[in-house]
Amino acid sequence: MLALRTLQKLALLALVFVLASFFLHLAVNAVPGDPIALRMKNPDPEKVAQLREQLGLEQPFLVRYGHYVTDFLTLDWGRSLISGRSVLDEIGEFFPATLELVLVALLVGVSIGLVTAFSARWLQWPALRTVSLSLGAVGLTVPIFWLGLIFIVIGSYALGWFPVGGRFDFANELPNGRFFVLSAITSGSLDILVVALHHLALPVLTLALYPAALVCGVLQARLHDPQLTFLLRALKAKGLAPWQIWFKHVLRLMSAPVITVLGTNLGALLGGAVLTETVFSWPGMGRYLVAAVLNRDLFVIENGLLLVVLLAFVSVSLADLAALVANPLVRRGVRPV
Amino acid sequence: MPAILSANFRTWLLAAFIAFALSGFWATPYDPSLQQFRDLALAGPQWGHWFGIDGLGRDFASRLWSGLGNTVGMAAGALGLNLTLALSILALERTLPPELGRMVPLLVSIWVAVPVIFIGLILLVFLGPSAGTLVLAVAVGNVPFAFRQLRVLWQEHRSALYVEASTALGGTLRHTFGYAIWPNLRPDFFALCRLIFAICVLELSGLAFLGLIGDPDFPELGAILRQNQAYLFQRSALVLWPGLLLCGLLLAVHSGSQVDSR
Repeated sequence: MLALRTLQKLALLALVFVLASFFLHLAVNAVPGDPIALRMKNPDPEKVAQLREQLGLEQPFLVRYGHYVTDFLTLDWGRSLISGRSVLDEIGEFFPATLELVLVALLVGVSIGLVTAFSARWLQWPALRTVSLSLGAVGLTVPIFWLGLIFIVIGSYALGWFPVGGRFDFANELPNGRFFVLSAITSGSLDILVVALHHLALPVLTLALYPAALVCGVLQARLHDPQLTFLLRALKAKGLAPWQIWFKHVLRLMSAPVITVLGTNLGALLGGAVLTETVFSWPGMGRYLVAAVLNRDLFVIENGLLLVVLLAFVSVSLADLAALVANPLVRRGVRPV
Repeated sequence: MPAILSANFRTWLLAAFIAFALSGFWATPYDPSLQQFRDLALAGPQWGHWFGIDGLGRDFASRLWSGLGNTVGMAAGALGLNLTLALSILALERTLPPELGRMVPLLVSIWVAVPVIFIGLILLVFLGPSAGTLVLAVAVGNVPFAFRQLRVLWQEHRSALYVEASTALGGTLRHTFGYAIWPNLRPDFFALCRLIFAICVLELSGLAFLGLIGDPDFPELGAILRQNQAYLFQRSALVLWPGLLLCGLLLAVHSGSQVDSR
């Protein structure tokens, strides 16, 4: 079942690649005005034509599409029309920043959601139940870009605890790797870790609200299902300790719906990351791509957007497969309804 | 009964909120785009300017009111377009031969994996930044969600006993839809509309906040937030109010949706 689903996903990935690359290439070719001429201070028609010839922009559409697909697959992504730097190098610089932000936010958000929902069920305090219910509502009604600004006003301006934006304090020595937190942990450098976490705190709290609300919302309904009471009673009668009941059985039972919901909402989380990066001047892929679209930076748009679309599809597919693995029926070879 | 009264009250509250928002197109006390109070720039609340003046000398209450109207109007446009597209795809799936019809949900499952913000960026490359592009991006981006929900609703009601009974009694397609299907479908359909509307509001204001609306002076709540981000520490109220209005609008929409599930 899992192998078949993986093969299906790989076939779909190929289809996504063909469709997304074709539409992107079509979009870039439909850009109004000549982006090459726009980049030059005094656009001399001869020079513009020469440059277009050099970049292969004068060839027929399908030939260019063929080159684009080959170049993308061989990682020959050209140079940015704005900075003149290699697109691959720039993406290699910005992408880890986004990935670090999204992964830490996901981890924090899921933890907050799990802890809130489980404690509300376990401790049976009405106040905690209200907090748990409100968290789901807040996630649906509070725009995260506004929440980020409020966090800046409170955390940076009023209290002065956190920096207003950016990824690192450049008065300190930069970490060696592209993933600052991971580099600091592996090199055992506590100073760098503190600075990196200090900058991560507010963007992560902002972005973590959405996954926290999702997890809390999904668990709320399931943890208060009367069926669960019977299961808990049966496990207790079996002589299991409370930690075994909750962490070994209930948590595992709840993991499949949580993974499914998170997986289907990963796209929204990536969208949230773009907004969070803008609020906190976080040097990530979202800001980079928005700037590229507004400046009509052809090669960045074509390659950067295609990469992000493919990665979004891969992450959703991985979450789908993980939910299948987490489903006990599938593990026993029973086809889920 | 109190629950029903409360639900009705929430519906009226939502209707009043939407009506107030839409009146922002013509009823603002001052022109929301005219910089007529430049000498009072960044002034606090005062008589005649209840929310003060923004950094470019415009009455902030007028901008907020007009911004709320534009946000609601754009989201309503996106909702209409979204439902039209989703229903058209659903109709296409039903009319195509089964082998081809099966491809439609497959293509939609690919579509759903692409985040709306990136669909917006791709469309912006084609069409350039403008309010219309944002409406189109949000409508197109949410088609997979609307399609899947409408498909489930259709499948649920198509095979319902009351539909079969109505058909067996000789009811025409129009009669069966009007008297059997629609009354049962209506609460779920309106609940879905409200949910999509709320998603459209959030996504439109998010894209506008990124500066993708084109005209930097366009009064839309996300765009107003972006315009006033520069005064975050100088006059935080200029950032606080647009966000609170957005939250209020979303809360009203989500509270109203409980009416359908009562």
